[in-house]
Amino acid sequence: MARTRRRGLRTMGALAFGTALVLASCGGDDEGVPIDDTPADNGEDADGAPAGGTLIAAISGEPDQFDPHATSAYASFQVLENVYDTLVVPDAEGEFQPSLASEWDTSEDGLTWTFTLRDDVTFHDGSEFSSDDVVYSFNRIIDDEMANAFRFASVDEISAPDPHTVVMELSEPAPNLLANVGGFKGMAIIPEGAADEHDLSTEAVGTGPFELGSPGAGGMTITAFDDYWGGTPTVEAVEFRYVGEATTALTSLRNGEIHWTDNIPPQDIDTLQGEAGIEVGISPSVDYWYVALNQEVEPWDQVEARQAVATGINRDQVVDVAQFGAATVNQTAIPADSFWFHDYAPFEHDPDEARSLLDAAGVDEGQSLAIMVVQDTEGVQAAQAMEANLSEIGIDVTIEQEPDSTWLDRQAEGEFDAFMWSWLGNLDPFDFYHAQHHSDGGFNAQGYSNDEVDSLLDQAAAELDQDARKALYDQAAEMIVGDASYIYLYNPDVVQAWAEGVGGYEIRPDRAINFENVTLPE
Amino acid sequence: MSGYVLRRLLQSVIVLIGVSILVFAIIHLVPGDPIRQALGTRGTEATYLAMRERAGLDDPLLIQYFNWIGSAVTGDLGVSFRSGRPVSELIMERVPATVSLAIAAIMVALLIAIPLGTISALKPRSPVDWFATVGSQAGLSIPDFWMGIMFILIFAGTLGWLPSGGYVGLTDDPLQWARHLIMPAITAGVASGSILTRFVRSSVLEALGQDHVRAARAKGMRARDVLTWHVLRNALVPLVTVGGVQLAYLLSGVVIVEIVFAWPGLGQMALQAVEGRDYSLLQGAVLLFAVIFLVVNLVVDLVYAKLDPRISYQKAAS
Repeated sequence: MARTRRRGLRTMGALAFGTALVLASCGGDDEGVPIDDTPADNGEDADGAPAGGTLIAAISGEPDQFDPHATSAYASFQVLENVYDTLVVPDAEGEFQPSLASEWDTSEDGLTWTFTLRDDVTFHDGSEFSSDDVVYSFNRIIDDEMANAFRFASVDEISAPDPHTVVMELSEPAPNLLANVGGFKGMAIIPEGAADEHDLSTEAVGTGPFELGSPGAGGMTITAFDDYWGGTPTVEAVEFRYVGEATTALTSLRNGEIHWTDNIPPQDIDTLQGEAGIEVGISPSVDYWYVALNQEVEPWDQVEARQAVATGINRDQVVDVAQFGAATVNQTAIPADSFWFHDYAPFEHDPDEARSLLDAAGVDEGQSLAIMVVQDTEGVQAAQAMEANLSEIGIDVTIEQEPDSTWLDRQAEGEFDAFMWSWLGNLDPFDFYHAQHHSDGGFNAQGYSNDEVDSLLDQAAAELDQDARKALYDQAAEMIVGDASYIYLYNPDVVQAWAEGVGGYEIRPDRAINFENVTLPE
Repeated sequence: MSGYVLRRLLQSVIVLIGVSILVFAIIHLVPGDPIRQALGTRGTEATYLAMRERAGLDDPLLIQYFNWIGSAVTGDLGVSFRSGRPVSELIMERVPATVSLAIAAIMVALLIAIPLGTISALKPRSPVDWFATVGSQAGLSIPDFWMGIMFILIFAGTLGWLPSGGYVGLTDDPLQWARHLIMPAITAGVASGSILTRFVRSSVLEALGQDHVRAARAKGMRARDVLTWHVLRNALVPLVTVGGVQLAYLLSGVVIVEIVFAWPGLGQMALQAVEGRDYSLLQGAVLLFAVIFLVVNLVVDLVYAKLDPRISYQKAAS
């Protein structure tokens, strides 16, 4: 009895070991998360043709939901970028190009915008796209007080005089209107009535190159839309996988399990660039990182004290520590590649100068400063570098790491000495400066108030001539930077990597990932 | 017996009510809310307040709690703020991956613990015993994220034997399901295995010293039979308890292992719910974890009675 039992155990052990070996030795062409019962294609068609196949992309975040008007998660927009369209769309330089609207013009007084729509567009559900859909989409954002309602602050009325024309009447000129209606997919056009007929958090009815599959816990697949107005996409599908751990994502890329990822820690860029079979794309971004001092709290209500901090920070060191150099130091918000860039850098890293500024403001050695950062972001490392810098000038920094929901709460309540954060995906200088530094700005948590800046920002917001508008923003930027309303630090790079041989993909400064024309390696 | 089970179920209901109040209070009292999270740094204060009101977050907490618990009793756990999907649907979506990983990990743990613990108890202070002691200390001490990453670098990276991460459904492709499961299961199983090894060793040692074992040996029973029938059977009783707790813990999701291996389990979901202040989702998840622990505990106690005839839950006949 006992003998048989023992033999049974031995057999089981051998079986288990054997099974493990067999499993481990089974082919290297791994299949990933099949979603919608469509197993992933490893991209190597039998005939070696580049067209068709499934591109597999590992993204580091996880979408929260898929309603373009409701979500604010970048991971959701990575998917939605390929599913929905807007009236106009920014190109890689940030200039607005036709998309659902083929042309547009503005009245002399800047108060009436007329968009002419394409007439060859169908939605994923087969319905035809018309001006009513635009009116419905924009009114949904305004009437339901969606997160992006503020983009229509100057819009009085949106009407559809005929199926291919949309007219927007404004209460005051809005030179940044194109950025507001087309800067990102949060302003996507959905079919009239879609919010009542569909559960937009899990389903999408767009006009874009790909149709949304069903959301899964580990990923989601989008499939090519044959009737796409821009022509059928090159690949049959794109499978997004949610991979939070960079080692896992990069190993998958090296093994050929995936074709594309954005999960690349700055410290790994150098190594990756030297590897065969992998291409690394690096582009300056339109994002910026900054630190802001609370001007309701002494001594930071004094401009000299703020300037002292701005002078005491060694931005090059911050970039090395936080980004391993994958960023560009900048003392204004807007990066050098943009038309709106203004070359202004008044603060040279100089501890002695910083100390004398502090003395002028009557700030004693050992002045405390708590910098609030969001945990698990590069902001933590940046704050550590600043802590070392500022201790040299007698400022005693403590770093408060908060989860982002707590961080946002404290920021809104004004419960901080200083906070550090980044702004992503800005295209128009209005986005870069207005809400953050205007006395009535929606995000002026640091409490900056300067009548001259307010007046410059107001004029610029209504100035239709681009060059005159730029001159106004340049002046405002010099005051904002000089008064250290925000202490701007750097523009981080966008870094993505893909398998060698992936074609038709363009890395962009606004982090929009568009797989419409992508081709797989042969 | 059935009276005992009924009593235990009643106690469980009381525990669940306590857990529901506790989790509701804690998550609503920490700063931050799902609306702030959804808006990010954009959207004005007016938008924020309007959305808060629409979501019913301005109602008194007591009212919010009774609304939630009232629906929960009918099986409606509400809708997740972040995703706009029903909580029960989100949980069900992740059950297969979680159960796969938990069962596989506990198998790994037992495959390590029973042989290793038994041998080291039979040969105390031998090299095997030393190895088991040091090994279980190491297994407990090595951070699981480091172990997971090492496995990925070696078995997926260098050797290319296994996929780096992700999950494939058992019904979609059994072979791929198993291949994706190996590394996460070993990573999650090693720590549990280390804990269980010590338990097996000490309970086997204890059983070896019992009188009935000495009696069996004196009878001339073969050593192997003594081990099987008199030692292991008694040693298993405490193992069931600790193993049960380990299984319940694994079923509640192993957050770090799930993140490292991009494994869509409940742990990862609960973590995101905490970070996103997704009230209803987190409340649903914690209630589920409480149910898992209560059920596992009840099953353990019932198995106990089966294994050890001296244990009885009947009221003694007067």
